[in-house]
This record gives sequence, C-alpha cells and structure tokens, in this order.
Amino acid sequence: MSAAPGKGKTQVRRQNEARLASLYQEYYDRIARYARVHIGDRTEAEDLAGEVFLKALDSLDSYQERGVPMQAWLFRIAHNLVVDHLRKKAKLKTVPIETIPLESNGDPMKLAERNIELERVNRAMIQLTREQREVLGLRFLGGLTSREVGHILRKNDSAVREMQRAAIEKLRKLLTAEG
Amino acid sequence: MTMTEEFRQILDRCIDRINAGEKPEACLADYPQYADQLRPLLQAMSQTKEAYAFTPSASAKAASRQRFTAAWQKLEEKRQAKQPWFGRAFARPATWATVAAVLVVLIVTFVSIRPVLSPVLPITPTPSPDGNFVFLISDEVNAIGDFSSVTVTISKIGLQQKDSGKWLEFKPEITEVDLTQVQGDAVQEVWQGDIPEGQYKQVFIYVDDVRGVLKATGQTVEVKLPSRKLHISQPFVVTTDTVTSFTYDLTVVARGNQQYLLKPQADQSGADQNPRETKDKGNSDNRTKPTPPISHPANLPKKEN
Repeated sequence: MSAAPGKGKTQVRRQNEARLASLYQEYYDRIARYARVHIGDRTEAEDLAGEVFLKALDSLDSYQERGVPMQAWLFRIAHNLVVDHLRKKAKLKTVPIETIPLESNGDPMKLAERNIELERVNRAMIQLTREQREVLGLRFLGGLTSREVGHILRKNDSAVREMQRAAIEKLRKLLTAEG
Repeated sequence: MTMTEEFRQILDRCIDRINAGEKPEACLADYPQYADQLRPLLQAMSQTKEAYAFTPSASAKAASRQRFTAAWQKLEEKRQAKQPWFGRAFARPATWATVAAVLVVLIVTFVSIRPVLSPVLPITPTPSPDGNFVFLISDEVNAIGDFSSVTVTISKIGLQQKDSGKWLEFKPEITEVDLTQVQGDAVQEVWQGDIPEGQYKQVFIYVDDVRGVLKATGQTVEVKLPSRKLHISQPFVVTTDTVTSFTYDLTVVARGNQQYLLKPQADQSGADQNPRETKDKGNSDNRTKPTPPISHPANLPKKEN
C-alpha cells in the first residue's frame, strides 16, 4: 500500500502491519518451502520464514506497493536472508544432500520413496545456476507470478520467462539423467 | 510474436494454473499444438513441487507467530509512548464516550440554568430608524471651551432593566462624537432601534478613545477617563407606542496643568431632560455639526411608517 498524500504516515503504517499479519498464515509455509530449496535444512527454513516476517515488520516503512504486492516483497526479504544464510555457511554453490533431513512420520515405505525422490530432485537442483534455482523456487514453491519474480530479481517479465524455460529444460534433462 | 516467445508465455500460463491448483493435463488439453513440448516440463515442475512440499511444524510456526505478535505489540507500545498524553487518551473509544457524556451533561445543565443566568446574558436589540428608543450624546459645558475638538469613540452602549436585571447591549451606529459640537442643548443621536418596554435603571457606555485638540496651541492632549466603562444610574421608562430619547451627558473638566478628565454627568442625563437638538446620523459630513434645535420630549408618539 502506498503512502497516499493526506493520509497519516502512522495510519498507513498500521494498515500495512495489519496486512502483513494477515499474510502470516499462508506465506509462512510458502517462504519456508522456498527457503528449503536453497538451504536444505527444514528447521532452518522454518526459522528463516519467521525471520522474514520480523524483518518485514522492522522495515515496513520502506515498503511501498508501486506494483509490487506485499507477498512479493516478503520473498525479496526471504531471498536476501537466504543469500546471507548461505554466505555465512559458505554454501553459495551447493547444498549437501546430507543436510536434507529425512521425513520421520508416516508409512516407512512411502517415506523412503519420498526421501529418495527428494534427494534425486535436490541433486538436479543444485546443478542449476543459483539464479535458475531462484526462479524455480519463487515460481514453484513461492507461487509467485513471473512479474513478481521480475520485481525481486530486477528483471523484466520476458527475461524471467526465458530464464524459467531454460531452467525447467535443464532440470528436466538432469532429472531424466538421474533416472 | 515468435514461436519461442509464444511457447514461453504458454509455459508461464500453465505454471500459473498449476500453482492455482489445476492439473497439468488441463493445460495440455488447452494447447494441443505444444503438448509434446510442455508435458516433460510440466512433469519436471510437478516432481520438484512434490519433492520440496512439506508442512512446517505447527509448533515452530506457532512460536514464530508469537514472536511476530510480540514484536508488533512492542512497536505499538513504542508508538503510544511517543504520543502526547491527550493523543493516547483520545485514541481510546472510552475517552470519546466520556467526553461525549460530559458534553451532553454540560449542554443539559446550561439549558436548565439558562433562565437563572439570563440577567447576565445581554440582549442585543437591532437598530431601526423607527425604533422606540433613541440614544443621544451631549456635553455639559465645563472645560470644553479650551478645545477645538474632543472626539469620543464609543464602542458599546448598555441598558439594564429594572425588574429582571437583564442587560441590553448594542453597538452605536455612530461611534465617534465631537463633544465641541454637542454643547449645552445640542445632542448627537448615535443609535435608534426597538428595545423591550419597561423600566430601566442603569446606562453605561464603553469609551475606547478620547482625543482633544486645544484651541490655543492646536496640540492634541490626553483627556483621561475614570474608567473605560462610564456608568450612570438614571431610571427611565420605555413603552412600545412612544419614542423614548435618552440623552447621555458627558463633560470635560480641567484638572490643572493642562490635564483634562472626561466624566459622565448623571444629573444632566436621562430620558426626562428638556428637548434638545438632534442631527441626521445618516449624513456623515454633518454628524458633528449641530442641527437646529427641535422639540424632543422624553416620550414622543412613535413615528408612522
């Protein structure tokens, strides 16, 4: 929401805070899934999702809609936090498979199959460029549109669509090769 | 649009539709010409979504939500602390309700005690050329001969009713009177209008300024006032079918060493004075020139329209 002239700054701020709180339920999950693509660890991904909302609350004064919905802005914060997180852990290029925790509940057979599939997809994902992983993470796990992804990556729609196509093509090839 | 760009757009649309909950088959059916190219890509997408899909733990989410809510509350408290006390007080609906209740009580109280207060709430009569009351200013000769002009500026006139004690207040239509022009029997009419009939007991005039110019030197000297509000107690009667003319007599007295004082002359004032001359208050050029004396008894029959 933009700060309309004549509206009190505090009033706009309060409205944005309420809006941010209303996004919590749905977007916490999406951000956690998006983060997991990059950092692998489920618990760390959940922590990062919580951190995104706290960071957003702190820097809400800098948020102005201008065509970027608040949810896309949240993913931009998430993206920055992921980059920081990986930089700290010197994991910018790869996500070790062993950091992906195994699911521990449900049918053991299905669980095993799921974990094998997760490892397979993850092996393919880490062979993509960081930007390609970013586009697929935001599109597939974050559920953002190409335009919203463009706002986060500061690229136009057409460039995002091309990156997306190339990324999926490469991912498909890698998955096929993985068997 | 090139085939490639068209394909990218279709792929993009299909991804949006799958994100919105549709099956890949629905999208493939809508674009049969691209189905073979789209199918493996959408399949890779589905595999990726499925592999990474997980439901964050409820406890982690709840704890995180709690931290967010606490931070939000802290922010609000900080904001409240920064506001001035009246801002905080009036931000609460309860304060507004209290203020509204107090206002209602005050209004009700005022309405109910208004009759008791009415003697101190002045009535403001309106001027009218045919009114039943005329207010005149005159000068009782004392030291006025020392002056070529003594201009008195009157801002307000008040009359007090005898029985109810109510005050009537009105602004004179002519606010400046040169006392050198209204000496002796000469008068200056400064207001005419309708006022309630009855007995009146007191009159006051508010004098804003007095400027005297000495004949001998041409100098302007200060004419002092005992008070800005010059008051006299002089009973008179007003009726609706007569015109009552009240003459308020002022006089300038010398206090020695070129000091002068303006004071009311109660014994020469009143509605029962002898007839005095009046001037046309509508003609500003002649306002300070005395017109020929006219018969002006205290109570005249009211003018016919």
